[in-house]
Amino acid sequence: MRARVIAVGAALCVACKASEREVPKPPAKVAGARVVDLIPVSLSGETWQDAEPFLALYASNPRLMAASAFTPNPGGSARATAPIFVSDDGGDSWTLRNTVPSQAMTADITHAVGGNPPMLYAGILKVPDFPLNELKANDFFSPATMTLQGFRADIDQPFVRTTAVGNADRVYVGLNDFDAPDGRTATVDVSLDGGTTYAPRRIETRNTAGQNGPSIRPVVAQDHTVYVAYFGWRSNAGADVTSDVVVVRDDSGATGTTPFRDLVDPSDHLPGRLVATHVTIPWSNAPTLGQERIGSTLSIAVDALHSDSVYLAWADRVGTGDIYTVHVRRSTDRGATWSGDLRTLTNATDASLAVSTNGTVGLLYQQVTGSAGASRWVTRLEQSRDGFATHQDVVLATVPATTPPFQFLPYIGDYNGLITRGNQFLGIFSANNTPDSANFPQGVVYQRRVDFPTHRLLDGSGTPVAVSIDPFFFSVPVLP
Amino acid sequence: MHTRSAILLAVALSLPGSAGVAQMSRATLVKQSDIIFIGTVTQVGAVAVPEVPASPRTVVVRVDQVLEKPSAVALATGDSVTVETGRPGSLKAGTQATFYTTGWIFGRGVAVREVGHEPGRSPVVAADERDAVARARREVNDADLKTHIQRAAMVVAGRVEQVRPAELARAPARPKRISEHDPDWQEAIIQVEDGIKGAQAGERVVVRFPGSPDVAWVGTPKFAVGQEGTFLLHKDSTTGSPLTMIAGRSVPAYTALHKVDVLSKQDATRVRALIRKP
Repeated sequence: MRARVIAVGAALCVACKASEREVPKPPAKVAGARVVDLIPVSLSGETWQDAEPFLALYASNPRLMAASAFTPNPGGSARATAPIFVSDDGGDSWTLRNTVPSQAMTADITHAVGGNPPMLYAGILKVPDFPLNELKANDFFSPATMTLQGFRADIDQPFVRTTAVGNADRVYVGLNDFDAPDGRTATVDVSLDGGTTYAPRRIETRNTAGQNGPSIRPVVAQDHTVYVAYFGWRSNAGADVTSDVVVVRDDSGATGTTPFRDLVDPSDHLPGRLVATHVTIPWSNAPTLGQERIGSTLSIAVDALHSDSVYLAWADRVGTGDIYTVHVRRSTDRGATWSGDLRTLTNATDASLAVSTNGTVGLLYQQVTGSAGASRWVTRLEQSRDGFATHQDVVLATVPATTPPFQFLPYIGDYNGLITRGNQFLGIFSANNTPDSANFPQGVVYQRRVDFPTHRLLDGSGTPVAVSIDPFFFSVPVLP
Repeated sequence: MHTRSAILLAVALSLPGSAGVAQMSRATLVKQSDIIFIGTVTQVGAVAVPEVPASPRTVVVRVDQVLEKPSAVALATGDSVTVETGRPGSLKAGTQATFYTTGWIFGRGVAVREVGHEPGRSPVVAADERDAVARARREVNDADLKTHIQRAAMVVAGRVEQVRPAELARAPARPKRISEHDPDWQEAIIQVEDGIKGAQAGERVVVRFPGSPDVAWVGTPKFAVGQEGTFLLHKDSTTGSPLTMIAGRSVPAYTALHKVDVLSKQDATRVRALIRKP
């Protein structure tokens, strides 16, 4: 280990509550950290905006992983399938396979791996027309097209989580179902039979502004406790939505007929704990933060072995000159009570949380620093063993925020991915792919052809290729 | 050249070993392919890179010349490609052929699935094949465009004089939903300068298009004031609101959602020629 930075934050700075007041430190290299660009060498000429990455891994085999992004089928827009990336060597190398039944690309995709054998479950918005497709692959290394298990229209942001129970996988797909009655659109599609059948479970019990926010995020503990976080949109005026941040819980894997009713709020005795109320969500489908749109950042993580312990992150506008601020809170009593902000990160988005088996929490986020042409997207993984009284800060990437110009939105993603297994945090983010070692303080491995001395990407013939957004896999050792 | 290539193809497709291709025209092969190359089979039942599963249908082919490929794909003369053939035993080591393929697995190397192949004839084949494939691609593109023209309700050359938000009639039972995938429908008012099909010069037509920058609409044509072009317009069956207003009159709304629906102004000549072509 050459160096390790333990940012002591509030513990050493009595006056400082908010992280943005910490004195900036140069990024340090953490032993054992890896960052790998997923674009394979055989696609070295690729210039697409590979935004909104996601990662799934096989619980009992650390070498098998699947990943996705808004990466198109290299064959072009008429092709009937979209790609996923797979790795069989723990993320050191990746291949792209066209196995997702969507025309060239998806309009949303998340996925998770079930039990043994390594089933891959995916929720996509299919191109064209963007219906929800709930998909399954018996072997995600198979070149066969994933099979369709469920579908319907008027859905947004399917977000897939799984757990294995006996021989049957349980699949939880958080989604915003615009056809839900009474504008209570926050929904979890629950499958208790490995995706053969899905039952839509409505989780909003209060009146809404006509709908909930798009991000509905389930997470499952080993004792089958399921938490779901969502935005309870209460009113909207112009581009600002007034929202509650809500967590529901089910103590038996959502196997009952009226699931997600096990956590009630003391204020109205309705299911769904109001972790924060009347926050302002700036809903912007335009380049707003470092060319990125904002409005749906939300993540929840549970200590898989101790389901009492839950972390929650969301982003809103605080109104003190910020564009978008990430908040992190914690509950140690199954969501009944919550801390105040453990972390408050100004001008940040794409917060993803995970809790390792030793209780260490990981927080992945992407933050814009600097201004105008000097602004940068900085991707960080923070770890804490003490509820963020202290934390380790690992800068995974610091890249220009103004280049390349956006091709579409999201620029880097409405979400990214963080998971944990054993003594590693594993994750994925999207960023400017300039091959400059200064941009990747932990080092970086490119599969695609690059020339580091000149900071150029090269195609197969050695011709320079324009800078674009690529997905990057990373792993960082969990704090012991 | 055209006649000679056609004869070569006819002969080639009649050869043993190309039975799976015999029913396909070169245009059909090209239409279904995105990676086309001349290559020589070096191994049968093998793969070029370990991430591709070997089977009796896989062969390793040394690339002799790339004829077509997407710009993202790194593939050059001398590379070894894994080809999953249409059927086992259809290719033998040493066979040179033109391979019509689609991308399959991209990793340390390229693996492709065979759409079909044409056995090679001699060293001059490479040049002939390049010309023939290019010609076939033009034919495929022309046929595709002609199909779009035939389906279009209106084809015009003109200029966008105004862009405005679309005011769509909405079913009362269906409230507006807020989604990042919302198309944000806009209307472009086009001054027709040349009515090629279904319109006359001087008309003004209203074309709806998604103004959203969302990924769901990334490949869909957008319009801007002052933009000139040749436009293939379809009656709006997408937004659920088929009519719009212009100068106080209710008129049909059109869409142009496919990339070939918006062409350059100069393409008007090509479009007219395709309309006349039987």
